[in-house]
Amino acid sequence: MKARYVAGAQLELLLDPDAALWSSAGSEHLKLEGTPLGMQPTDAIRSSWADKKIGAVAGVDVEALHDGRHLAFRLEWSDPTENRAVDDNDRFADAAAIALPSQEGSPLVTMGAPGLAVNAWYWRADDEDPGREVVSEGLGTTRTLDPPTVKCRGSWRAGRWRVVIARELRVESAEPVAQLTPGEATGFGIAIWDGGSSERAGLKAVSGFQWEILEIGAAKKGGEQA
Amino acid sequence: MTKSDRQLAMVLDLNKCIGCHTCSIACKRLWTRDEGMEYMWWNTVNTQPGRGTPRDWQEMGGGFRDGQALPGKLPTRGEFGDAWKFNHEEVFYGGKGEKAHLKPQGKDPHWGPNWDEDQGGGEYPNAYYFYLPRICNHCTHPACLEACPRKAIEKRQQDGIVVINEDRCRGYRFCMEACPYKKIYFNHAEKVSQKCIFCFPRIEQGVANACARQCPGRVRFVGYRDDQAAPIYKLVDKWKVALPLHPDYGTEPNVFYVPPIAPPSFDENGDLDPSKPRIPDEYLVSLFGPEVLEVLEVLKAEMAKKREGAESELMDLLIAYKWKEMFGGFDRDPATIEWTGS
Repeated sequence: MKARYVAGAQLELLLDPDAALWSSAGSEHLKLEGTPLGMQPTDAIRSSWADKKIGAVAGVDVEALHDGRHLAFRLEWSDPTENRAVDDNDRFADAAAIALPSQEGSPLVTMGAPGLAVNAWYWRADDEDPGREVVSEGLGTTRTLDPPTVKCRGSWRAGRWRVVIARELRVESAEPVAQLTPGEATGFGIAIWDGGSSERAGLKAVSGFQWEILEIGAAKKGGEQA
Repeated sequence: MTKSDRQLAMVLDLNKCIGCHTCSIACKRLWTRDEGMEYMWWNTVNTQPGRGTPRDWQEMGGGFRDGQALPGKLPTRGEFGDAWKFNHEEVFYGGKGEKAHLKPQGKDPHWGPNWDEDQGGGEYPNAYYFYLPRICNHCTHPACLEACPRKAIEKRQQDGIVVINEDRCRGYRFCMEACPYKKIYFNHAEKVSQKCIFCFPRIEQGVANACARQCPGRVRFVGYRDDQAAPIYKLVDKWKVALPLHPDYGTEPNVFYVPPIAPPSFDENGDLDPSKPRIPDEYLVSLFGPEVLEVLEVLKAEMAKKREGAESELMDLLIAYKWKEMFGGFDRDPATIEWTGS
């Protein structure tokens, strides 16, 4: 998959899930699969979910754009219920995330390993100022970084979510986050949680356990579109 | 599983609980006054038999059977009995004092934590009830801790108090599903799970828990399980008259109860029949396990001794002549401490 370069796009425009420029980005459909029951980290979760389907969302349309400074993904998937508000104890919000390897060899299947971090850009429908930058070095080790560098916006209409998740290609951080360069490729993975099915934590639909490849288009001089 | 070096525990004598809720209010005022905590009662007192708080919590699953985690249900705000909002503004400041009356706003509430659960059992003249105060059991085998995928729950090494680390908690609520006692709440403002902390900031200063210290009935004993000179050890391990609630849930609670002794039943002639207790044995067994029947025998025998003027260490302990001795050394007056922080 390719993240096409668009010159001079404002972040505001990239963040608009319904902006016209997305339709020209060229989307790719990725099938999603539920995380296996055996990989759930605790006995209690495994026993609660033994007879339930994990991974309610079957597939996602993915597009990616960058303006030389920001990389933005737009995810679009079908979800009959908009779960934005966590207004009771048994309600959970819809969420989505992009996983990126922070360095070569970071394993996606375990969300990183000690010293081999996975960086996630995370959106959740109930966050007031959505967008969390997360670093993980193994299952159950995610930590959210401060200050937030990830920007997100989601819109749900007629049974479909459209969510944009964006961050600057390079950020100043002492933490092991992905540093990206136009003209180079990165691995990526996608996870979607269906709040209406009580999905949270490791209960999610994922693009797979190996990295998908994203080529980040070279930024052209002179500002014309690539 | 990590075992703590020592274990703090509590014993509650159900024969002395008058259901006054001073414990609930002491806890509420101290710990759950912030936004998002309105509906929380880390300490509850329910009338037994009854559906309890949250409603029907004993049917919600969780805990362990043969060491295996069992699926559990998430109790809703309505099942806990939500914090109702009232029309105070209208009644007190709206100029309608004569006409407007206080009533909960929004959807009609269906359940309160200290109203609808007030049931009891039996038929006149043999009706019966007793009160059951509950806090987090600070279990030796905590289902909440083991359910959390983020290791956000810790059993403190020094005293076995089970605490949720709110910096690690992501609000997934697996702990709420797993706790068979349904003593964990979700804070919708902070998006984290919260529960009884056994008043550890007081404990660390030598002060007993607020629910225990404020109890007008001298119901609650506090202390280390292994302190052989203190009441907890004597009641739980020496006299063996204090039992955990629902040992069948497999979490090994560290809150214990001295079971209630009911007066005898009336027979059809209106005479007392001492062979028939008003609270059915099977009901107490369902709560405290089969050992409860032996405990009742010990309590009755010691009561009889005392009645005849003989010595009974057990009765003297339970009467709690000396209030401060109930607290296993945690008897410092909180008013003598300069508390910092908000």
